[in-house]
Amino acid sequence: MSDNGVKRSINIFRPLQGTMRGEVQVIALLLAACLLAVVGTQVGIWVLEESLDGFWLTELIFFNLPIHFWISGQFLPLLFIVLGLVFNLWMDRHELRRMEGTIRFRATGRKKGEVP
Amino acid sequence: MVAKGVQFIPLLMVAGMFLLFIVSGLGSKMRQTSDYGFSGSYSGRVGSGAAIASNWMSAASILGLAGLFYLKGYYAMAFVIGWTGGYVLLLVLMATQIRRFGKFTAPDFVGFRYESATARTVVALISIVISVIYCVAQFRGIALLISWLFGLEYKEAVLTGAALLVAFVVVSGTLGVIRNQRLQYFVLIIAFVLPLMFINRKLGYFWVLPQFGYGEAITTLQEQFGFFWSEPFASISLFQWLALCFTLMFGTAGLPHVLSRFYLAPSMRDARWGVVWGLFFISLIYWSAPAYGVLARLFDARAGNAFKLPDPTQADLVTLTAATQAGLPVWVVGLLVAGGMAAAFYAAGGLLQSGAAAFAYDIYPRLIRPTATDSDKVTVAKGVFLVLAGVVMAFSLNQVGLIAEIAAVAFALAGNTIFPAFLLGIWWSRTNAAGVLAGMLVGVMITISSLLLGDLVPLVKVLFPLTSSAFIGAPLVILVMIVVSLLTRPPSDEMVTFLIRDVHDTGGK
Repeated sequence: MSDNGVKRSINIFRPLQGTMRGEVQVIALLLAACLLAVVGTQVGIWVLEESLDGFWLTELIFFNLPIHFWISGQFLPLLFIVLGLVFNLWMDRHELRRMEGTIRFRATGRKKGEVP
Repeated sequence: MVAKGVQFIPLLMVAGMFLLFIVSGLGSKMRQTSDYGFSGSYSGRVGSGAAIASNWMSAASILGLAGLFYLKGYYAMAFVIGWTGGYVLLLVLMATQIRRFGKFTAPDFVGFRYESATARTVVALISIVISVIYCVAQFRGIALLISWLFGLEYKEAVLTGAALLVAFVVVSGTLGVIRNQRLQYFVLIIAFVLPLMFINRKLGYFWVLPQFGYGEAITTLQEQFGFFWSEPFASISLFQWLALCFTLMFGTAGLPHVLSRFYLAPSMRDARWGVVWGLFFISLIYWSAPAYGVLARLFDARAGNAFKLPDPTQADLVTLTAATQAGLPVWVVGLLVAGGMAAAFYAAGGLLQSGAAAFAYDIYPRLIRPTATDSDKVTVAKGVFLVLAGVVMAFSLNQVGLIAEIAAVAFALAGNTIFPAFLLGIWWSRTNAAGVLAGMLVGVMITISSLLLGDLVPLVKVLFPLTSSAFIGAPLVILVMIVVSLLTRPPSDEMVTFLIRDVHDTGGK
């Protein structure tokens, strides 16, 4: 666990260099998007309710539904699926790169004339 | 809505659906035996997603959510967002890492990660309590459906339902039936969405995608009956709504039977993609559930009861009410009943079995009889299963709340205890046994604080409502875990090395 005398540890706020750092950045980005979407949409809906006696909530129809039903009932679950897709695609690509890196390292790490 | 006499055709549909699941379960068992050592029963990421969704489906999804929409309107959207959003937390923060731990239950995980038999026992106890609370919600669903099927009063239906459930688990166990979750999901989603399409078609709405079609019912309610859905935060404040939503999210990421799914995935990649497919399949239910609540309101309005306060004790049956009031063929109503019954039965049976296993394997040999053999543990598990079923039945005899609201209490407990234990266990190697124990005990106190102190200190009820306490509770528990961990001895070097080398993608550095 010791690396050059420095004690290493796992901390999401101080990710280890390399692959974990990238993963944590993506996680932070996706969670921020998720939080912003949930809180932001509800604050927006609350503002619409408070202004003009909820006029816009009855007038704004989207995909056959009042805007607040569509946002919370249809859009947000869909957004969560999309965020999941983005995360998985990033992780797949990242794993592929790591594997390629490992193979290259093995290929170049062999000494001249050394039999594998 | 107690029906008059026995509903024969729906009863046959229920029996038929259970027979289908049992036969297919026996088939799966035979296939798994023949495939042993080759491919097992793995059926790809879509199949894994369907299994996750099937594992998730319960009376709360099939019956409870629609009832909540019918009774409280937009308030119920907190459940839709909380229950689906929780899977994002699971995916990005836990799914891959849990798979890498290779432990099969929540007590296993906590016992191993925190190197503490006490922490393992505490988690086992919490898991049992969560199972019991969640099961009370399932029993309520089972009782309401049985009451409708046989024309029984609620309490008689609870007793009948409990007897049928125990008999079902015993028969399935004796035959060695394996739960075919993929088939179950596809049957249940058809049973849930098909009646909705029929109702929309009958009303002349867009029936191909009833998840959008029901919007016309909202317009009709506004234009013809003056019933508006334009005050989403009229009954609760924005804070209360967000507190409920985030409690359900944290709870979803902390429910023991949900977390256990990831240990079963064949690889990390499959675990991740399985979650996304699972989320899609779960969303199909939640895109549809509000429609039942809105359509039931429309039927009320047509009957001249647009503004009459609905009966809360019957709200959980609105999926059924909407189908019968629309005049659907009896086999379609039967399909809906069968779907609801199967979801509630399998959820309740699974929860009781996992609760019994937690006692028999994590508590009994550690606290009661250290010399217990495997055979003793199996016997104890069977006995505890019956005891838990009795406890749940006793709690269910009184109608304590709506299905979804009872389930929310279980989510709050999971969100205040198991979620922080897993989160810090994975993402902060300095968390230790003392920290997790202190945190989980604080989490339990927070969950029940509104019951214990709510009348003495009104602020407690505002900050930690029974169904929504994890919004503030979970961050507080995390803080307690951090402080106590920093004040006490760090975990062993072996555990930190394991986290760095095996759990996180640090390239082995």
